[in-house]
Amino acid sequence: MRAALLFALLVGVLTWLPVPVLAAAPLSVKVVAEPAHIETVLGGRFMITTEITNTGTAPSGEILAHLNVASIEGSVYVDPEDWSPSRSQQLSLRPGESRKLTWEIQAVNAGHFAAYVVVVPFGDKVAGKEPLMISPLVDVEVATKPTLTAGGALPVVVLVPLLLGLAAAGVFFTARRRGSDR
Amino acid sequence: MTLQVAPPAVGTVRDVRAGAQGQSRLLVVAEQECRDLWTSGRGLILLFLFSVLLSGVTYLTSTNQALNFLEQRESVNLVLQFAVAVGVLATLVVSADGISGERERGTLETLLVTPVPRRSIIGGKLIAALSLWFATFLVSIPYVWVLARGVGILGRALALGFCVGTLVAIGLGSIGLLISAACNSNKTSIAASIFLLLILFAPTQLPSGLPQGWFFEVLLRANPVASGLAYISSILVEGHDWTQDLALLITPLLTAIIAGGALILAGPRLVRLTRGVNAG
Repeated sequence: MRAALLFALLVGVLTWLPVPVLAAAPLSVKVVAEPAHIETVLGGRFMITTEITNTGTAPSGEILAHLNVASIEGSVYVDPEDWSPSRSQQLSLRPGESRKLTWEIQAVNAGHFAAYVVVVPFGDKVAGKEPLMISPLVDVEVATKPTLTAGGALPVVVLVPLLLGLAAAGVFFTARRRGSDR
Repeated sequence: MTLQVAPPAVGTVRDVRAGAQGQSRLLVVAEQECRDLWTSGRGLILLFLFSVLLSGVTYLTSTNQALNFLEQRESVNLVLQFAVAVGVLATLVVSADGISGERERGTLETLLVTPVPRRSIIGGKLIAALSLWFATFLVSIPYVWVLARGVGILGRALALGFCVGTLVAIGLGSIGLLISAACNSNKTSIAASIFLLLILFAPTQLPSGLPQGWFFEVLLRANPVASGLAYISSILVEGHDWTQDLALLITPLLTAIIAGGALILAGPRLVRLTRGVNAG
């Protein structure tokens, strides 16, 4: 009876104790994004920088930093792939190490947007319950730009071919007449 | 049957007078070829078609809603690349007609019996073909001006277009003349030249979203047209310095040197009468 009680106590203690060797260390990184606010015009290109720091005591393992863009005002449809063709960067950090990542972005919609970078664990050891680390959002305001107008381009678009067409016709018919005169 | 006509004597290299004479003969041939191209209306018709195409592209970039997100610098880049590409195509087509066209029309024999060195004949034909490139560049100036005004890149865009376009035009014009000299039929020469140009343009038409590995990079850098156009983009759109992507100009420069050199060295042997379509 006493042996059974001792065994039960031992099992209870063992199951209560954390088993750090078997479970993966939780992802502990800090993500900072710069600048906090961007104002640009439609079609404008800009760059944001994120600094990812491993604040934990264990190596981060393979992690993936992923850029996303969302509209935060109105109902503007956003396709992040149009904004940046390369939105994922893979890295791994030692304890205390930090890495700066740059993201080239082009504003393809006008409006008010949030750009942010989310850090997720990467690889086949991902169980599916790991927390995500997200940077503070970068506030992006995109103004409509004074686009080129048909009126501005029309004189050149019409006049140049017209003048060249007339010149070509003149030279062509003169050459033909000269040829038939001979 | 091949009728070999001996080239007229031009004197020794040391004979400075003969050298000057050769230079003036080159200019005489160039002038005659340019006159043929421009007073027959052929050059102006090509230029008119070029301007219609450029008008279409310029109007589209300035009015189409789907393209309106393009930054103005990208619109300038698009039109400039189009102008360079089509200008070079026109140069290639004219140079591809240079020797094989004369053979087919039966006028090469007359040209060969004139007291002009064959090297001058080839040089004159290349200058005439390049005159079409310079004319297309002049025509593209108002279009680039319309799009680039207000962005402050007009001078840079025009200088870039002129330098890169001239380099590519010299290289491809020389290749066109080499093809023309090697072909008996004008149709074969022009078809081969256009096919070559299509091969060179193919990599530039790949969707930008595709994964572009080392093979794409090699393809881009080995291609004089694609690398020349990539150099224009890197400066106009990405705002790179003139010297930053200078390596992209190695292939256009090498093409101009190698093809131009081959034309100068092998030209006298290539310009000859062969059994052509009209040769009987």
